[in-house]
Amino acid sequence: MNPSRRAAIVGVGLTPQGKLPGSTNLSLETDAFKTALADSGLAKDDIDGLLSEPGTTDMHWALDYLRLGRALGINPKYTGSFAMGGATAGNLVQLAAMAVTSGMAEYVACCFGDAAKTGKRRPLQAAGGYLGVETANNGVWGAFGAATWSAITASRHMALYGTTDDQLGEVAVSARAFAAMNPAAMMRNPITLEDHHASKMIVEPFRLLDCCLVSDGGACVIVTTAERARDLRQPVITIAGMGQGFITQDHECEEWWYGPHQKAAMDRAYAMAGLGPQDVDVAELYDNFTISTILWLEHAGFCKVGEGGPFVQGGRIGPGGELPVNTHGGHLSAGHPQGWWTLIEAVEQLRGASGDRQAPDAEVALVGGRGLVLNTASALLLTGGGR
Amino acid sequence: MTTPEKPIPTVTDENRPFWDGCAAGELRMQRCASCSHVRYPVQPLCPKCLDDSAEWTALSGRGEVFAKVIYQRAFNPAFAADVPYNLVLVQLDEGPRMYGNVVGPADDGIRVGAAVAVCFDEVAEGVSVPRFRLATD
Repeated sequence: MNPSRRAAIVGVGLTPQGKLPGSTNLSLETDAFKTALADSGLAKDDIDGLLSEPGTTDMHWALDYLRLGRALGINPKYTGSFAMGGATAGNLVQLAAMAVTSGMAEYVACCFGDAAKTGKRRPLQAAGGYLGVETANNGVWGAFGAATWSAITASRHMALYGTTDDQLGEVAVSARAFAAMNPAAMMRNPITLEDHHASKMIVEPFRLLDCCLVSDGGACVIVTTAERARDLRQPVITIAGMGQGFITQDHECEEWWYGPHQKAAMDRAYAMAGLGPQDVDVAELYDNFTISTILWLEHAGFCKVGEGGPFVQGGRIGPGGELPVNTHGGHLSAGHPQGWWTLIEAVEQLRGASGDRQAPDAEVALVGGRGLVLNTASALLLTGGGR
Repeated sequence: MTTPEKPIPTVTDENRPFWDGCAAGELRMQRCASCSHVRYPVQPLCPKCLDDSAEWTALSGRGEVFAKVIYQRAFNPAFAADVPYNLVLVQLDEGPRMYGNVVGPADDGIRVGAAVAVCFDEVAEGVSVPRFRLATD
């Protein structure tokens, strides 16, 4: 049976995002849960499924689900914790959709809390060192900093397709223009291409304004069947398409740098939904770095391979553009809850609740998540208005 | 305050032949005894044919720059004095890709596609790290 449009998102919760001294991964997770519960109109006892993403400072902590259930006083029928970096949010929603459509659970809350800015520090290790000794050993060549892998991608994309510093800058400018319209965004002062070019180089080809923010924050998304969703408080936001993709072998796969698994995830979601890029009204795409947005636009079929750079020029993905992308300001300018805000923004857009930054007549939203050493990908097509 | 030390490779029973090779001035990788696939980094079995047996084989050390980035900031303070420094992903002639640094030219003289050859840099007593130089021949 095609699972398309059989599950729906009925509640979303986002804590403030930014510098939240005194918060912990757990407190942010439970705060977001309470917000999402109130948003859905459900009672705590209705929630019989709990899925969680451990905070980025606790990434290996697969017992997070147990701590969360204990804190919330929920003994779930269905639970677990997953660590897929920026693909986790979307993939947890997919697991939740499968659980509610199969009858394993009725209402599943997907939760995340991360005191990444003011909480405990990550250990000083090579980029991707969490994957084990061999990745950690890349530290002998100075491979430190989360920008490493996407900078490799940008280097190759620029060399093969002529993608430019100006085009990377356009992505940052568009994201900031949306953030300026989002009262909850961390960085709201508008920027120009000149500001981008004047920002200091971090890991060339990335400047400071090519890099995402780091923030404390929590998020929660509640999923049930489309049928039950019709009896609840919020407009029905249907999960029309789901797709995942993974490259476990970043060294063995020659095309790894380009993210072919991200394209595969998108293609799978389109196929399930019976939709294509021409149907998408708004796209929320994990932008840990400016190159990420450019790649996603290619992966999602809005332009051809290598044409993502020219595509973003002329304000095409900004406010009032042909394809609004990352309408909350993205990880670049709004905040960094690991792909959860992109997902929640898609829901808000389809509800018509995005205020000044609302995309006109948004009925189909595309959500993309990516993570780790460019290993994981998630794609969701969400629909509102009965589509 | 003392300058923090740069990381040296963590040597395990599995990867010791790679680092022993570097100390001996050879880039050695695992070649599957069954299908001849050369794999890197170290893996307990061949990801192509799942055979467990492999032999450590010396590679030519030649390849080309697949991608290049330049750190203008030291995320590990031990590298502060090196900034700016490059990190390259090298496509080796025998198939695998590995990270390294190109030594010699200024960073902006390193092009994606440039031919490189391995060289070895003794970073501690008996510990050598493979790096690359631009190949002129």
